[in-house]
Amino acid sequence: MSGEPILEVKDLTVGFPTDDGVVHAVRGVSYSVAAREVVGIVGESGCGKSVTSMAMMGLLPRTARIGGSIRFRGQELVGAPKKALRALRGSKIAMIFQDPMTAMNPVYTVGWQLGEALRAHSDLSGRAASKRAIELLDLVGIPQPERRAEQYPHEFSGGMRQRAMIAMAISNNPDVIIADEPTTALDVTVQAQVLETLLRLKDEVNAAIILITHDLGVVAGMVDDLKVMYAGRIVESGTVDDIFYRPRMPYTVGLLGSLPSAAGGTDRLTPIKGSPPSLLRLKPGCPFSARCPIVRDECLSVEPELAGVGPGHLAACVATDEVAAMANPKDMFHAPPLVVAGSEADT
Amino acid sequence: MLRFALRRLLIAIPLLVVASILVFVLVVNTGDPLEDMRTNPRIPKGQIALQEHKLGLDQPVTVRYWRWVSKAVHGDFGKDNKDRPVWPQVKRALFVTLRLVLLAQIIAVLIGVTIGVISAVRQYSWFDYAATGISFFLFSMPIVAVAAFLRYIGALRVNEWLGRTKNPLIKVQGDRTFPSKCTPNNPGACGLRAGLYDFATHALLPTLALLLITYAGYSRFQRASMLETLSSDYTRTARAKGITERRVIMRHAFRNSLIPVTTIMALDFGAIIGGAIITETIFEWRGMGRLLIDSINKIDPNILLCWLMITATCVIVFNIIADLLYAVLDPRIRLG
Repeated sequence: MSGEPILEVKDLTVGFPTDDGVVHAVRGVSYSVAAREVVGIVGESGCGKSVTSMAMMGLLPRTARIGGSIRFRGQELVGAPKKALRALRGSKIAMIFQDPMTAMNPVYTVGWQLGEALRAHSDLSGRAASKRAIELLDLVGIPQPERRAEQYPHEFSGGMRQRAMIAMAISNNPDVIIADEPTTALDVTVQAQVLETLLRLKDEVNAAIILITHDLGVVAGMVDDLKVMYAGRIVESGTVDDIFYRPRMPYTVGLLGSLPSAAGGTDRLTPIKGSPPSLLRLKPGCPFSARCPIVRDECLSVEPELAGVGPGHLAACVATDEVAAMANPKDMFHAPPLVVAGSEADT
Repeated sequence: MLRFALRRLLIAIPLLVVASILVFVLVVNTGDPLEDMRTNPRIPKGQIALQEHKLGLDQPVTVRYWRWVSKAVHGDFGKDNKDRPVWPQVKRALFVTLRLVLLAQIIAVLIGVTIGVISAVRQYSWFDYAATGISFFLFSMPIVAVAAFLRYIGALRVNEWLGRTKNPLIKVQGDRTFPSKCTPNNPGACGLRAGLYDFATHALLPTLALLLITYAGYSRFQRASMLETLSSDYTRTARAKGITERRVIMRHAFRNSLIPVTTIMALDFGAIIGGAIITETIFEWRGMGRLLIDSINKIDPNILLCWLMITATCVIVFNIIADLLYAVLDPRIRLG
């Protein structure tokens, strides 16, 4: 699957200055996406997964401080002129947003909005654009596309709107599609259809996908490479099998334990106690230490780097061997977490 | 859309009927138009009774209402206490007021929307701080203060500074110079240009007073509305398409921000027909505001009735216009 990387993120940092100080939303994220690859990024709300993708699109607010490097086919995007970023947005890198209810402008027809996306990056006439818009709606499986193109977003169901958003994303044959929680706002039955449509069209336009989600169930079936993010960093990275069957970072283990399994049957769900640390004044040491059931003294002083734990499998934890040795790592969350002085703060 | 418009128009009919009943009941209970006669011992009882009969005051309220309303629907609003027809008086006042408030309102809308949009797009810039500060100041000022201040500064000081104390350039009384007839003795009032010039020198200060207060509210409203649409998901989607920032702002954020603002403005248009009572008083314009005060003081029921019905109709009509504009701007309304 891996070929020449088309998108390379290196040591990406994003900070938002506030009155109380800088919120470090992304703290050194590196990964790459090869052509036609599907990369999944999972993590809780506020772990920096959406901010990373917004940085790629150049859509962060002006106040955001972006460091590190994002290269698209060798072209540096961090600090690139607005015009250059705009030329890539929607044409080479497209995005699908979480909430299809609000992501479309309520006062224009769906066909018009698709046509606008097309015409932003081509010399298409208005007529040709609306014709192509109808073709695109047909492509994403919307019945009666001629009639639907004349309708407004409020006349579409949630699943239909997300299909229309997919149509918009693929309209200029992008190389990368960033799908930010594309199915979160949808019914479970519709989720699968929308994901299936997304995968089908990705092959049609030969695009890579960065799939951002907090739903491990969504990524299981479709992702080549999976990253787990916590507190603005990638804490574990590997194939779906690595992450699901050989997790080495306690946070990943906790995430999996919070996931209801259809096969598992009687197992109780085990939530991770506590909440992610504030990214405003992060303490030294591992950011997960306050919630980690196997926390050690060294976790409180040094933040571990991502290190190889298997072929193509990376984890950022000092206790990966300990986790690997466990027969059933999920059980660690059943025991009350050790209370270490200072670890309770900030939660 | 046509059905929507028709339905709104049909709803206006019962509204007008209800308004006319309310207006009539209120006016009938305002006071006795013959109070002066009754308290004057030299007027014989018979004459008062005659007058009562003439004005229909000896009839039950329902009969009086029916008599009044059946004439009013044909545009006949009767005569005032001094036996002069009511409609020409109200019409004259209406035009005086319209000349004042329409211009002020239109300019206020244009300035308010422009400043609001720029403020929102450049949020927290020095322009935004200055504009927000000024409009907050003006918004919290009573119009009496603004108008009186303008009258003092604009009229006295500026005319003094221009060296025109004897023949002031900026006028503070009334809406025109008397005599306004074009005669050989008064060549200054001849022609459209002279008329417009004369009107401009009279209208400058009262228009400015109304304008300052009204624009302040609109600019704040537009800014808030625009900030909301600028941070909306669909604006983000528009940016993600890679269209120009100008197009993002005008086609997406601005277009949507106008939906609530337009409605408010249309409703305001209806309400200001009743006159800017304070401004008209300070600058001595004989408009709707002045007419209302005068006819309340004199307890002149037919003028009051006519006045209230005209303003009620304006409010209802502009409500319909607001609804229609809302539907034009927002496709989600059209079906509802």
